[in-house]
Amino acid sequence: MKKLDLRLWRMIKQSKGQFFSIAAVIILGLAIYVSFSMTAINLENTKNYYYEITNFGDILVQLVRIPKGAVEDLRKIDGVEMVQGRVSFQVPFRVQDPREKVTVKIVSIPQTPEQIFSLYMLEGAPLRNDLKSTVVLEQFSDARGIRIGDKISPYINGRAHPLEVVGIAASSEHVYLMENEQALLPAPEKFGVLYVSEDFAQSAYGYRDSYNEVLVRVKDLDQIDEIADKLEDRLDKYGVKRVIKRDDQLSNRMLSEEISQLQKTSSAIPLLFLIVASIVIVIMLSRIVKNDRTVIGVLKAMGYGNGEILLHYTKYALAIGAFGSLIGILAGIQLSGMLANMYIQYYNIPILRQDIYYIYMVYAILLTSVFCIVSGLLAAKSVLKIMPADSMRPEAPKTGKRVFLEKVKFIWGPLTFSWKMVIRNVARGKKRFAFLILGLALTYGINVVPVYMFEGMISMFELQYGDFQRMDYTIEFSRPMHKRAVGEIKQLIEVQHMEPKLEIPFELKQGWRKKVVTIIGLPRDTKLYAFKDKAGNAISLPENGILLTEGLAKALNVSIGDQILIKNYLPGKSDVNVEVKGIIRQYLGINAYMNIEAMDGQLAEKGMITGVSFLSRDQVREKLTNVKNISAIQSITDMKNSFMQFLDSVIVSTTVMMLFGGILGFAIVYNSTIISIAERQMEFSSLRVLGFDKRDIVKMITKENGLMTIIAIILGIPVGWAMCNGISEAFNTDLYTFPVIITPATYLYAAVGTILFVGIAQLATIRKIYHLNFIDALKNRVS
Amino acid sequence: MNRKVLMRVENVSKTYKMGEVTVNALQNASFELYEGEFAVILGPSGSGKSTLLNILGGMDLPTEGKVFVNGKEITQYNDRQLTIYRRDQVGFVFQFYNLMGNLTARENVELATEICENALDIDEVMEQVGLGERKDHFPAQMSGGEQQRVAIARAVAKNPLVLLCDEPTGALDFKTGIMILSLLDKINKQYNKTILIITHNAAIGDMAHRVIKMRSGNIIEIKENTNPIPPERIEW
Repeated sequence: MKKLDLRLWRMIKQSKGQFFSIAAVIILGLAIYVSFSMTAINLENTKNYYYEITNFGDILVQLVRIPKGAVEDLRKIDGVEMVQGRVSFQVPFRVQDPREKVTVKIVSIPQTPEQIFSLYMLEGAPLRNDLKSTVVLEQFSDARGIRIGDKISPYINGRAHPLEVVGIAASSEHVYLMENEQALLPAPEKFGVLYVSEDFAQSAYGYRDSYNEVLVRVKDLDQIDEIADKLEDRLDKYGVKRVIKRDDQLSNRMLSEEISQLQKTSSAIPLLFLIVASIVIVIMLSRIVKNDRTVIGVLKAMGYGNGEILLHYTKYALAIGAFGSLIGILAGIQLSGMLANMYIQYYNIPILRQDIYYIYMVYAILLTSVFCIVSGLLAAKSVLKIMPADSMRPEAPKTGKRVFLEKVKFIWGPLTFSWKMVIRNVARGKKRFAFLILGLALTYGINVVPVYMFEGMISMFELQYGDFQRMDYTIEFSRPMHKRAVGEIKQLIEVQHMEPKLEIPFELKQGWRKKVVTIIGLPRDTKLYAFKDKAGNAISLPENGILLTEGLAKALNVSIGDQILIKNYLPGKSDVNVEVKGIIRQYLGINAYMNIEAMDGQLAEKGMITGVSFLSRDQVREKLTNVKNISAIQSITDMKNSFMQFLDSVIVSTTVMMLFGGILGFAIVYNSTIISIAERQMEFSSLRVLGFDKRDIVKMITKENGLMTIIAIILGIPVGWAMCNGISEAFNTDLYTFPVIITPATYLYAAVGTILFVGIAQLATIRKIYHLNFIDALKNRVS
Repeated sequence: MNRKVLMRVENVSKTYKMGEVTVNALQNASFELYEGEFAVILGPSGSGKSTLLNILGGMDLPTEGKVFVNGKEITQYNDRQLTIYRRDQVGFVFQFYNLMGNLTARENVELATEICENALDIDEVMEQVGLGERKDHFPAQMSGGEQQRVAIARAVAKNPLVLLCDEPTGALDFKTGIMILSLLDKINKQYNKTILIITHNAAIGDMAHRVIKMRSGNIIEIKENTNPIPPERIEW
């Protein structure tokens, strides 16, 4: 080894703490980068492979009724690869606890050798072609403890149909199982899927030789829009309710969005970490170079050139980068395996295609090298200015100047001597001070984000259920009813207030833009929905016309006053043009709202409703359990409970993220304090001679760090705000709007977190102050 | 005596700013240094001797005047050329040794020889300076005299044209100082190396072939010593 490299190696050994604390930041950043990137691509491949082997359906058409023969005809459409009809309906599922309302979707599976959405059998045998067997979707069987051989009885048309569980399977159609788009989270114990033979489904539901859903697989995904349009035309006479393309399929969309978010996160977070690491490297190396002034002079006197000396110090940064990359990449590979397994479990994907993508390692190394080289050169560039002869002379004392604050008498006057010194010290190293503040402000910002996300989740929930929707319960009917049903339910339970509702999915069109959404019809004077616009002003439901949610208005590119076309699938009903009367803010789901009186007249049958919402303190579930035609009872309390469960997992990830931010803060403060102590040995020693004791010096450093932390937190507030905005922008989808509501509490919690980590770093350096040999420091000027 | 000129200093002046004051460190200095001679520049602190040494060693540039080494004008050299000059033709010995604290004695010498072309055998040089046994010690484990011997070995092992020594005994006690001077004397004779010492200690002048006296940036006298005494007999 070259002797200069040997010197570097020993230098690193002497400053292990600093070396490892910076490396830790790089390790974290790269571990996140490598693992997230690889997990994202592995998940994407797994998804595609899973979809391929299970024949993922590209288009699903829901319709009133279509005869078998008509489905066969669809094969002739250009570009169609496979067509399959099926019967699918949701029915109540009786469980032991009568208060619990469980719904299952019964789906028929044809006896063809190949099926669209073919099941991935996990246990037991494939479905038999009889009237007594069923295969249960894994999530549901897991959540309800259903085992092979169990007898289960869904209620179909008011009658129990006993079925024997012969198998348990996963389905690519339901990697993310949600009852509908309004559901906040999957609740596999409340909603499941049972696969049955075609014969059983058709006879039980009264669909002999016909279906209510058509699945299509296309040859070329680029043609999916044309084919969907053709299907819609051809099937119009069979009462098309909804055409769902692959990209709009709920389960696929949730999974795909998760993957793309993972991809976005995989580059943003590591970049932040590398920036912080670079800042710390610059601070630390500049200090080393400054301290090595004489050494650099001697090296130059010996005949070492500027380039060699520059490289010598840059190598320190590179060593940190190399070590950080190595460990970070190894950790990233490990983590990627764990993450991928976690994801496929969460998304109920039974297979995992996993490869190691070396390209991310190459990127990681390149990126780290660039950051380290740049920060190394930036820190060591002062080497160039050192003349060998000058460096032998003791450095001229820094010009002592009055700081600006001293002119502000009413602030400066009352300050104690030690505070005056603290402020002068801080003002003296302006560049270092600026770097430090920047680093700490970033740390603070990183701490704000998880707190904000945690609080954002809660506020999103509270805004949706409490502020916007105010009912205690909603009931969905299993088929449309007349509004007389409202009176009938009121006789069964005690309610404070009840409103009918009419929910039907339609395709909304404006120019070439279109979107299938559920239009909800409500009484004009609804007390259970509080519509508000973007600015938070209350809006009432217009007599005619329609209210759109923000996301929907954006997707259709419409504003207030525009006309939109509602395509009506219902047989015998024609398409209707309506005016957009308002754009409302809704955090979960996308919907359109109309006055129920206008809606049933124009779009459906007069007096038709599909459910009710109400306020009640009665034992709703018990009393309505055996009531016919109710497919689901949803209570806000249930949703709150499942939301609380979900929050538990959010708490874990919040903590992890804060810990990441904390490691950054630690690295910054630990390094800068160590540097500051080394840099000011002489000063501290002189203070000791003057009669200051070690504790006074610790106090002084604490005051300096405290002052910087406070300034950094103040500057970090806009940084955090910007980060949260970015996050919310990245997380906003059609399905939900993540509100940017950052409360003072968020800033406060983040500040507490930051101060805590700064404090820990400070504690780690106290030992160094106590071990400082003050006498030696005074005697020896030369290193 | 037919002496070959190794270095020629022509009307060299140096002014520099220290804070807000301009210092005339060197004014119109001219002299010659001959090959194989043992010369001493003598003067009190602030006389400009260090400045002169730095300019000779290619560590600093004069404000005015020229310096020739083996006929080549080094005061015309650019940064890169000066670096090569320092690398191959000059060996420095400093008052405070300036060894790398985290390298052993031998490694400190290697640090210097690694980059030059006709370096001497390190172990032999270490032997010569009397450090054969202590090669693997770190500076902190050595006495001042030992450290200075490492510094001399470091300068000599490069096999330079000239050894420039800046107060080499300044930080040492009398006995150790004499030992270092004897070592330098030995190197001058054994390797026929040109040695230039700067010091404020007039006694050291007694062992030199020539003494160049300086005061306030000016050379005031150049004295030939027809009969230099061995360093062991010097006293101060």
